[in-house]
Amino acid sequence: MSASIRTFPKKSGKNKNRNENSRTRRLTFSMKRKLLGLLVLVLVAFLGLLYRIVQINRDNGDSYKKQVLSQQSYDSKVLPYKRGSIEDRNGSIFAYSEKVYNVIVDAKLANGDNGIHIDATMDALKKSFPEIDINEVRDYIRDNPSGQYKKFLKRVTADKVEVYKNLEEESLADEEAQEADKVAKNAVWFEEEYIRRYPYDSVACDMIGFVQGDNTGQYGLEEYYNDTLNGSNGREYGFLNNDGTLERTVKKATDGSTIITTIDVNIQSIVEKHIREFAEKYANNYRTGPAANNIGCVIMNPNTGEVYSMANYPVFNLNDPRNMDGVDLSPYESLVKKKKKTAEEKEEEEDKDTVSEDAADSSDEEQSEEASEASEASEEAGQEVSEEEDEEEDEEDLYDSEEIKNAVWKNFCISDTYEPGSTMKPFTVAAAKDAGRISGYETYECTGALEIGEHVIHCHNRFGDGLLTVKEGIAKSCNVVLMDVAFALKKDDWLKYNKNFNFGLKTNIDLAGEVNGAETTFNEKMGTTDLAVASFGQGFNATMIQMIAGFSALINGGYYYQPHVVSRIVNPEGAVTKENNPRVVKQVISNETSDMIRDFCNSVVMSDPKECTGWSARPAGYTMGGKTGTAEKLPRAAKNYVISFIGYVPADDPEVIAYIVIDTPNVEEQSESTRLATTLCRDIMTEVLRYMNIFPTLEITEEEQAELDIMLEDFSAGAVSDNSVSENSVSENEAGAEGEGRQQDAMEPVEMSENRIQYDPETGYPLDPHTGEVLDPVTGQPIDKTLPSDLDF
Amino acid sequence: MKRAAVPKTRNIHIDITLVFVVLFLLFFGLIMIYSASAYSAMRTENSSTYYLFSQARATLIGLVAMILVSRFDYHIYRKFAWPLYGASCFVILLVLTPLGMTKNGARRWLNIFGMSVQPAEIAKAGLIIFFAAFICSNVKSISKLKGLVQTMFLTGIPCALVYFVTDNLSTAIIIFCIVYIMMFVASERSFIYILVVLLILGAIFALVYAVENNIIPADISFRLSRIKAWKNPEAYASNTSYQTVQALYSIGSGGFLGKGLGQSTQKLGYIPEAQNDMIFSIICEELGIFGALAVMLLFLLLIGIFFMVAISAPDLFGSLLVTGVMTHFAVQVLLNIAVVTNTIPNTGITLPFISYGGTSTLFLLAEVGLVLSVSRKSGIE
Repeated sequence: MSASIRTFPKKSGKNKNRNENSRTRRLTFSMKRKLLGLLVLVLVAFLGLLYRIVQINRDNGDSYKKQVLSQQSYDSKVLPYKRGSIEDRNGSIFAYSEKVYNVIVDAKLANGDNGIHIDATMDALKKSFPEIDINEVRDYIRDNPSGQYKKFLKRVTADKVEVYKNLEEESLADEEAQEADKVAKNAVWFEEEYIRRYPYDSVACDMIGFVQGDNTGQYGLEEYYNDTLNGSNGREYGFLNNDGTLERTVKKATDGSTIITTIDVNIQSIVEKHIREFAEKYANNYRTGPAANNIGCVIMNPNTGEVYSMANYPVFNLNDPRNMDGVDLSPYESLVKKKKKTAEEKEEEEDKDTVSEDAADSSDEEQSEEASEASEASEEAGQEVSEEEDEEEDEEDLYDSEEIKNAVWKNFCISDTYEPGSTMKPFTVAAAKDAGRISGYETYECTGALEIGEHVIHCHNRFGDGLLTVKEGIAKSCNVVLMDVAFALKKDDWLKYNKNFNFGLKTNIDLAGEVNGAETTFNEKMGTTDLAVASFGQGFNATMIQMIAGFSALINGGYYYQPHVVSRIVNPEGAVTKENNPRVVKQVISNETSDMIRDFCNSVVMSDPKECTGWSARPAGYTMGGKTGTAEKLPRAAKNYVISFIGYVPADDPEVIAYIVIDTPNVEEQSESTRLATTLCRDIMTEVLRYMNIFPTLEITEEEQAELDIMLEDFSAGAVSDNSVSENSVSENEAGAEGEGRQQDAMEPVEMSENRIQYDPETGYPLDPHTGEVLDPVTGQPIDKTLPSDLDF
Repeated sequence: MKRAAVPKTRNIHIDITLVFVVLFLLFFGLIMIYSASAYSAMRTENSSTYYLFSQARATLIGLVAMILVSRFDYHIYRKFAWPLYGASCFVILLVLTPLGMTKNGARRWLNIFGMSVQPAEIAKAGLIIFFAAFICSNVKSISKLKGLVQTMFLTGIPCALVYFVTDNLSTAIIIFCIVYIMMFVASERSFIYILVVLLILGAIFALVYAVENNIIPADISFRLSRIKAWKNPEAYASNTSYQTVQALYSIGSGGFLGKGLGQSTQKLGYIPEAQNDMIFSIICEELGIFGALAVMLLFLLLIGIFFMVAISAPDLFGSLLVTGVMTHFAVQVLLNIAVVTNTIPNTGITLPFISYGGTSTLFLLAEVGLVLSVSRKSGIE
């Protein structure tokens, strides 16, 4: 080392010697060693980096490959599918998806050619979409010169888009036009999207359901047939071909299938109209509040299980399901009250808490000083907030809750259970007859009540009707007769038949949200009292669809058809891919039994009004059978009733069956208000039967004709006022109504003039409008004022 | 004479190898630039060969420059050491004049007759010559503190200019590395140099540790935030480390033999300006580990040749010149590949001869000319 240093001259100042010096000052061994060391270091670093590359490939190669591939799809475009429509049985469209466009502005393209096209482009935009805020667009283009995607309008219709496209095309095609007048090419483009539209707004809302967000059906058919209605998205892929130019391939979207329902939009509208009228008429009638907690109606074909109509109250607009503005929320007052109550209780509890805490604080201040300080502070804050909320969160917010919305959207006819009441009586008789326990021609002595164990179960006629045949028992809705029949049938068979009739089981109707009510039906543990009350439909729950499907089987020869709403599924090409033919699930009773039950039920409607409960349900000119129901709700002390009527026309060969349920009618004596259900049924059926071209077979008395004329005039007026349905609405030729085009002034229930519901001041019983006699509201027959009637037990 | 003939023939072999390696890298670079840039060039410049032709032009000028530089006796350059130093600092300051040009948010370019020139690249070549001469003249004193401080001061000025004027930390680091290695090689001492390097590395690790564990908030500087992104690139994939992550995807999807030349999908807009700093990832994607290995071997060969020339140079000045050039190449190649593979935090360093960049290629070729000039002399004894 020392030797080599010596060979280095100290800073040479002599230029003369420099060349010579330089030549002699070669690298020393130490320097070479250092250089070699550096080279080795570089080599090691290279090896390290190579290892790193291998490592990346080894550890993440597969996932990175996928990443790269998945990024590629970034360049592709989703082509949305069209959700299938929902049509009624005659092809009227309940729901369809319409293609709409989002207006996208590409600032980069708009700024092309130094922005000389901007003005022309903005003019075209303004002309095509008057609602657009053009200054906002200009600001965007100015501030984001390289922005390529900004949505300015959502869901504009195709015709407006067409206007813009034409303007763009024309300006570009016009060769004489100045550059500045040309619209910037592709600077505005349109993103396709589909939105769901419901042309009938609220008609059949509970059955149809609606669509949320990304084509997800909610409630009804939209939910049940969600997968069928939905298709699959298509894609447009971009890729580079060998020449390096971008090519596109398109995989078309598969549109969803259309479902054809068994619903008839006209029948549905008729039903909804009558329910609405009823709701309006009886709102705040006896007490402040809605006409009833709920009013449900199902109309079906008893021979196929096809549902023509299913309605309840209130309805909502499918096009805006979350908006509860136009919806009558009064039936949900109890929900609101409950909420309020819980909120108040909470508040009270909080108050209590603070009080007790204060006390605790004073007693052992020192111990929990710090802790309580903290908690107090937070609680105080929390309380203030909640108090403010309570005050500000007025009723409006309570009404707007999700709970209430869900209640509105729910389909009462399939999702709610209740005690069916006397409409159950034919089931009991049918079971006993079919099991061979009764012949159907027995007579029973009705003394007005039956003592079962500790309970005394009364008939509605507490003084008894004396000796009654089973048929008379049905016609007069005698509880005692039915209890005797049930005892003849015995518990095990009652349970067996009950299950056969599908109580406690879903009917599997093709609608979302059906419940089975299994937890509220009887099982093996059923006692004698249970059997007694079950015979007339108390003590257990059922849904409307269970009742009507079972009743259909009772009267159609014993065949239990699965109720269904969809008849056909049609693919986008128009081919039928699935046909829902009427499906007999089982035969629940024999033909003979069915004939007998039909005969019995006919007597409920067709007998002398003095001898039957359902005469007021019969539409003039038609034969009809059916059964009334008046079920006392729990808690019994509240004296709230579910009144109902199930009826079929024509009596001997039923073509259509209707079931009306009114939960807690707003009248003074609910237990005697069954007539509300029967007359509602009559009003609906009078109109529906004419629409269905089922001809009256009975002579119509003059009295009836007069009444009918008034009724039909109103019907046709109502039908015309409902523009959406007017096309093939009620067959007016039948009625020869001159009311065509007349606006319906008030939604007065047709034939139910005020005197119908006049009550006897002494007893509170309704009076017969024709005779002025005091009537038993259950049986509909004139009764002696002094005789109380009750179905207490 | 016999003894003189032996090194001469050997050096001719070296020259030829050097020229071939350089030419191979240049052509390979052009092919890769075309492959990496064709798509984006078509989209932005409306011509798929835009970057290719631009680079080819610079390459041709660079080859002429290389030949010219190699023709002169390298001792001539020593006479211009101080003017070169002044010129190097001056060109960097030029970006502050109206000649300066801003690209991608950084003012690092000069616009000379419509061509964009990166002054830092010019400065690197000029400073290699200056410091070779300076260290050569002060070889005794650089082993002492005074000389060391003097040299560091002279290094500090251009480094500071590059960092503060053009906001280009990586080039400042490269310049520092070049001078430092030249000093290290020329100095009698080595322990102190190694110690300083270790101290610097220690400080860097401490900084990284501090940032990683949020002892120092990363948001005070974008450079610190890059450290965070470096440690966890996937977490910042949408912004800070987008480029890094895309480069990793690219490398990882290549496999051993790659997708084939021209078959990269990542260059289709996913890796921004794939022809620039991140071109090595495209090589990995298209040619696989095998292609990456080949490129690295070529660079290793080039550096090895520089080493041969350096140790056989006729004098210390020549040795230091070649050492500077060798360091320049080695540091850029290593740092570039390290950035692309996310071995170090992301910073803009180009891959010599392969990344797109006219000024860089031109002056790198001129530096190769210097080496050739030294090599020619070393054959004559």
